Amino acid sequence: MNLKQTIKVGIIGLSAALLAACGSTGSDDKKLTIGTDAAYAPFESLNGDKIVGFDVDVLDAVMKEADLDYKLKNTGWDPLFIALQNEEVDAGISAITINDKRKKTYDFSSPYFESINMILTKEGSPIKSAKDLEGKKVSVQNGTTGQEALEKMFGKNENIKKFDSNVLAIQALLNGEVEAVVADNGVLKEYEKNNPDKKLVTISDKENFDSEFYGIIFPKDGDHQDEINKAMKKVIDSGKYAEIYKKWFGEEPNVDALKQ
Amino acid sequence: MDYSLQIIREYMPLFLKGTVTTIQLSLLSILFGTILGLFIGLGKMTKKRLISLPCLWYISFFRGTPLLVQILLIHSAFMPLIMKPPNVFVSSVLALSLNAAAYIAEIFRAGIQSIDKGQMEAAKSLGMNHVQAMKHVILPQASRRMIPPLGNEFIVLIKDSSLVSIIATPELMYYARAMMGEYYRPWEPYMTAALMYLILTLGMAFILSKIERKFVYD
Repeated sequence: MNLKQTIKVGIIGLSAALLAACGSTGSDDKKLTIGTDAAYAPFESLNGDKIVGFDVDVLDAVMKEADLDYKLKNTGWDPLFIALQNEEVDAGISAITINDKRKKTYDFSSPYFESINMILTKEGSPIKSAKDLEGKKVSVQNGTTGQEALEKMFGKNENIKKFDSNVLAIQALLNGEVEAVVADNGVLKEYEKNNPDKKLVTISDKENFDSEFYGIIFPKDGDHQDEINKAMKKVIDSGKYAEIYKKWFGEEPNVDALKQ
Repeated sequence: MDYSLQIIREYMPLFLKGTVTTIQLSLLSILFGTILGLFIGLGKMTKKRLISLPCLWYISFFRGTPLLVQILLIHSAFMPLIMKPPNVFVSSVLALSLNAAAYIAEIFRAGIQSIDKGQMEAAKSLGMNHVQAMKHVILPQASRRMIPPLGNEFIVLIKDSSLVSIIATPELMYYARAMMGEYYRPWEPYMTAALMYLILTLGMAFILSKIERKFVYD
């Protein structure tokens, strides 16, 4: 072999080895890969390099119940859906709301969390209920139930400012760009509690904000829904779910809502 | 595939609306960035350190820190001081212009310094003062050399304007992200956005090539 050939063979060999290495991380054994975007406390966030949160504990309980071996991987938000479509991950758990539009592309487990939206606004604001938000600028985190709830009430419109994170959405309220934030009760209450100096109030409005449900997401026609749904039911019925819920949110869950 | 096309079509009006905002953002930032960049570039070349040193700091800061950080800083820390409530469009134009000015300043400096020193000396020996020599001799020659790198900068600016979607400026990328948030499908919105940006940058490249040709044959 002359030098040119050696290099050619070397490159081909190296690429083959690298490709093989990539392939083997996929589905060589029965370990399921579950994707998440660990940036949404208290549901999933990073603690050092460990992923912790309510979702993580629920997932662990369900997988133990179903006797499935799994690995939780922090894929990030957008890449999670690419990975699901390409079936690089077997499922995802990331405070993902179940809805009909998304069901056209993905499958969901039975619900594991009831989310109710709340309004965060400044003290002394005239906003008292969700109805008062009509025609006002309101910020939300893009793709969340808060955005959906508002769009359901007032239609898609320019007054709903969609931010990349709840933190940026709240910042817009503090700056005076918007008059209120709509987001999950857990997230807003946590913020109000941690920032008493900002003079903010939370308003709940169960009449106008419907409950939304989070589910584990699967690629369309995936293989594990049934096992996981069965295990989920057991985890909820056995009280293990309530235990995890209390650990993260400090109150009893409304388990009946999940069963409907 | 049908479903993909259907949801893209559904979102098209918003994509187009976002594209208009992207064009407005880019053109305004190019205008302000170029004017500011010219002064900063000239300022950096003067021998008076009181002027040249701040210009140097300006360039170092805006070229040496990420644009994303600048956008967040300007919108959430600086703008609230001077404008209540801060307007996202103003913050976006400000951040993009200030950032582009740093690069444009360097393009101006490089263009001017690329002209042989003898030209300035010759102009002065004909009785022109420094400003006259700049205006009639140096800048006309330098500007021809500056067009290609300036064009590059303008194209970069169009693409970088996508970063202001982080503060919810309703431009092209903002709507692409909104669409992703609605359907949880990344391919369709981002491919559409990529195509739109490509059309914008190709359009810009076309205009620039026309301008360049005109300058060269004049």
